[in-house]
Amino acid sequence: MADLTLLTPELTLVGTGLAVLLIGLFLSTKAKKILGYLASLGILASLVLVVMSLGTEGVLFNDTLSFDALSQFFKIVFLSVALLVSIASIKYTEGNSHTEEFYSLMIFATAGMMFVASANDLMVLFVAFELASLATYALAGFEKKNPASLEASMKYFMIGSLSAALMLFGISFIYGATGTTSIPGIAENISLLLGSPMGLLSVVLMIAGLGFKIALVPFHMWAPDTYQGSPSVVSSLLAAGSKKMGFVAAFKVFMIALVALQAEWTTAFAILAVITMTLGNVVALSQTSVKRMLAYSSVAQAGYITMAFVVMSKTALAGAILYALSHGFMKAGAFIATAAVTYMVLSEKKDAEMPDHIDNFRGLGKRMPVTALCMTIFLFALAGIPLTAGYMSKFVLFASTIEAGLVWLAVIAILNSAISLFYYARVVKYMYFLPSDGVKIAEPKPYTFAMVIAAIFVLAIGFWSEPFIYWAMEAAKVLI
Amino acid sequence: MAIENMAYLIPILPALAFVLTFFLGKKLPRGGAIIPIIAIFTSFVISLMITLNLLQNPEEVVSQSYNWFSILNVGILIDPLAAVMLSMVTFVSLLIHIYAVGYMSHDKGQPRYFAETALFTAAMLGVILSDNILQFFICWELVGLCSYLLIGFWFEKPSAASAAKKAFLTTRVGDVMFLAGIILLFSDIFRIFNGSIPEGVYVLRFNEIFSHIPEIAALNTQILGYQVSHLTLITLLFFGGAVGKSGQFPLHVWLPDAMEGPTTVSALIHAATMVTAGVYLVARTFPMFIAAPQSLLVVAYLGAFTALFAATMGLVMNDIKRVLAFSTISQLGYMMLGLGMGAVIGVTAVGDSLFHLINHAFFKALLFLCAGSVIHAIGTQDIRQMGGVRKVMPITFATMLIASLALAGFGIPGTSIGVSGFFSKDPIIEAAYLFGESTENWFPYVFAITAALLTSIYIFRLIFMTFTGKPRTDYGGHESPSVMTIPLMILGILALIFGALTKTSFGKFLEETFTNNFVNVDIHALAEIGKYHLASHGGEGEPLLILWMPVIVAVAGLLISYLIYGMRVIDMSKVVSRKNPLYKLLYNRYYQNAIYTQFLAVKVVYEGLALAGRAIDRGFDWLINFIGNIFTDASDGLRQLQTGVVQNYATSVVTGVSLLIILVKLILEVF
Repeated sequence: MADLTLLTPELTLVGTGLAVLLIGLFLSTKAKKILGYLASLGILASLVLVVMSLGTEGVLFNDTLSFDALSQFFKIVFLSVALLVSIASIKYTEGNSHTEEFYSLMIFATAGMMFVASANDLMVLFVAFELASLATYALAGFEKKNPASLEASMKYFMIGSLSAALMLFGISFIYGATGTTSIPGIAENISLLLGSPMGLLSVVLMIAGLGFKIALVPFHMWAPDTYQGSPSVVSSLLAAGSKKMGFVAAFKVFMIALVALQAEWTTAFAILAVITMTLGNVVALSQTSVKRMLAYSSVAQAGYITMAFVVMSKTALAGAILYALSHGFMKAGAFIATAAVTYMVLSEKKDAEMPDHIDNFRGLGKRMPVTALCMTIFLFALAGIPLTAGYMSKFVLFASTIEAGLVWLAVIAILNSAISLFYYARVVKYMYFLPSDGVKIAEPKPYTFAMVIAAIFVLAIGFWSEPFIYWAMEAAKVLI
Repeated sequence: MAIENMAYLIPILPALAFVLTFFLGKKLPRGGAIIPIIAIFTSFVISLMITLNLLQNPEEVVSQSYNWFSILNVGILIDPLAAVMLSMVTFVSLLIHIYAVGYMSHDKGQPRYFAETALFTAAMLGVILSDNILQFFICWELVGLCSYLLIGFWFEKPSAASAAKKAFLTTRVGDVMFLAGIILLFSDIFRIFNGSIPEGVYVLRFNEIFSHIPEIAALNTQILGYQVSHLTLITLLFFGGAVGKSGQFPLHVWLPDAMEGPTTVSALIHAATMVTAGVYLVARTFPMFIAAPQSLLVVAYLGAFTALFAATMGLVMNDIKRVLAFSTISQLGYMMLGLGMGAVIGVTAVGDSLFHLINHAFFKALLFLCAGSVIHAIGTQDIRQMGGVRKVMPITFATMLIASLALAGFGIPGTSIGVSGFFSKDPIIEAAYLFGESTENWFPYVFAITAALLTSIYIFRLIFMTFTGKPRTDYGGHESPSVMTIPLMILGILALIFGALTKTSFGKFLEETFTNNFVNVDIHALAEIGKYHLASHGGEGEPLLILWMPVIVAVAGLLISYLIYGMRVIDMSKVVSRKNPLYKLLYNRYYQNAIYTQFLAVKVVYEGLALAGRAIDRGFDWLINFIGNIFTDASDGLRQLQTGVVQNYATSVVTGVSLLIILVKLILEVF
């Protein structure tokens, strides 16, 4: 019998989700605040368990789940993001009678992501993928009375269903040719898929299915609408967590199962990476909604990470994996900061249109100094300013691209980074250099707390990057 | 727990005090002054205990080091050199902080003041503790930043804002040289290792640097047709950094202007932090200097020149703080000269120079705090408007007199009678004499002894004009509160007796710096590399006149000042007029301002370089705007793709899949 202790982080998390759901039934709306703390504690416990399990390896349930450095690294990313979102949501869900649903959905989504990270079989991967997706569809529409939120959820759901169908279609081709859904099994029988047109078809269909979650152009179109319409804390989970689930799944599917078809998917990813980062950055330039800007920025960042599929060296993968971690903190932090601003705007004027409009960031340095400072750190990190996590991960990734001789790709990526500085710096300009007639307000503590933690990690990865790079290298070794 | 394990707390505590004071200061009485005072006091106690331990066991150097990344480390090194500096800085800074409670009591910005001075102290302690040159540089830059913030503390005053800028920019010139030196050093060591650094070797750590001195000295570069050793280059670049921070000619111009900050800041800059950092840098890397041909001589000549040059300007200043500022520059010149004398007396030079540094810290802090006390009570800085202050402020007068005696260096050679400045300045001047004897080059000695005469004249001019005679204006005034006078008295006692107490043990202690478990360098072998001929040190061989000379000039200076400013035998109003070209030259400080600002800054840099640059910039601007417009236009165009209609999104997914299949197929077929 397999060693079930490997599963304790997931069991803890799911247990917390169920407990939150049950306890919520017996609490008054006012008392439901405690659920946020409970959920955060559960996520933290799960995170601690994963960190403690670092270094142990194993497989479970007929080799359908594998536990290794890669899965543990991504679980830490998911749980860290979930923890930040959960802390920030304590404020967001205040006074909401559906708090228990919010937290249990968020926890189940996180659990889905964790199972994807461990999946060693395409069917498990698909089911876990859908677990995470279904939970986030509901979360995106959490503000039932807000048409924007509903629209966001609907679009997300429809495109999501289409992508799931494409992915399942792709899996069926793979299964049809190789006769197995086990990821290492596919790699063993890949000769059956080679040379057949089904190979290319399944590669492209899998890219489309996973590219939806990663938000690769042209499968990204739901992302700006959904990120903008959903509650900011949910956008944070989507951009920082759910997107990484797409990456870990893609790592497993392409680099382990379909590694023999490398020529096909390397080309496809090269095209997509260039289009994705360029389109993301260029369109972000003219956005006036900060959330939408962040959405396009995360499309662009996905483009950078995708470069690892083209370079295919250990350093590049380590760079991409490190980028996933850094992006988790930077993006989650930036969305939470936006949530704080939205909260401020809505508390001043209840029916404000577009509460995340960049004009609302005017004079934020004076009005909400901690939020403004943290936001500045996140934006600079996203732009890749040295001494932040964003810089270190970009550096490793771009350097490995040049090392591999793909100078053209590196040049495109670096030019893109230069473009991106414009729209990140613009927000900083609004926050610190443009005046505002608003007064200083008390910053909501849960938001601030979550932001400060994220900012500390963004700076820590930037200042003291060695252990993180080492760790990402260990994770990359699983793939190559 | 052994005291060594608490060493890291020495800079951490003031840094923590900075954070706490910055955020909580407003809510606490007196701007939260108590936080930095407690923190620095604790640092002082730790430093003192480590120093005392080192005194008994000179071998037990504190050295802790942690990997930062790859081949660089962060670490702590407390050897005798660092130990005395630590104790001095924490002690003087502590007294200045206590004094500032009284001095700054009327200022609104107290929390900011105490936070910044705490950070200033922390940065300086960081400089002293560093066991590698990179960490040293980082803290060094932090010192520069803090000095900028503090000199411009009253930033609403335009003169303060511009003085802060001047200090920052001038020291920056030196900092760039220092950084260039570090980069050159790093690449040289990298080259010596042939690019493969063994595990556990931190290339910029001092012991690693010192152990490679012969190899670095062997590397040469052609510059303008001369073969120059890399070691000479590196040391000269380091010295360039020291020139900026320690206000040596020609980068001394920021120091007099730095008086725009609160007087306590001046005291901190001049006595404990900042300016001594440059001297400390040269002392810290002394093994490199002694192995570098010519570098030590440059240090010596520039030091001697600065000592005299600054003293001449000190003669004519009317602002009480400016006199002291020029005096600091001059005394720093002595310290540099002292280090430069390593060319004849070897490692003893470090002991001599540091001894003067410590004594100077005591009496200069005291002079500044006394001046602050006078300014605080009288409300002007112009000594022409003072006079007779002695009657109003007896304690301030007594302590200031002690400090002045210490600065001028009164004492009896061959005995233990004398003020602290006497015991430390004398060996430097004697070393300069030895240098003259062995090299037939008497410039350093002549400069040093002349500067000593001028020092005595200008400081007693200050005393006589401020404290004696009758009040020249109706200033009222009162003695300062005891929170201010007690630090004065403590410093006064130290300025009086510290030199006599430690004159022999100090030098011996300091000589251990370069022979212990951390570094063990053979100064004589290194001096061979530098082609210096070390003489045996000792006061016996010198004529009696030479031994007495510093005291004679000090007394002569006192007498001259007394005759002119005390008795007024000579009417100075004739000499002191704009018509006298010498006076005019001195009063305008050798027209440095005109040369630096009007000529270098405005003519050369602004009109020459900046305007030419602007023309080129315009072209670039156009280009950049053009490119920028392309992207923003593209952005607006591409935005239209996002229709918001979900059917279109689904179409794009399906089209994307189809196009991707075709594209990949095409590319794979073609290539």
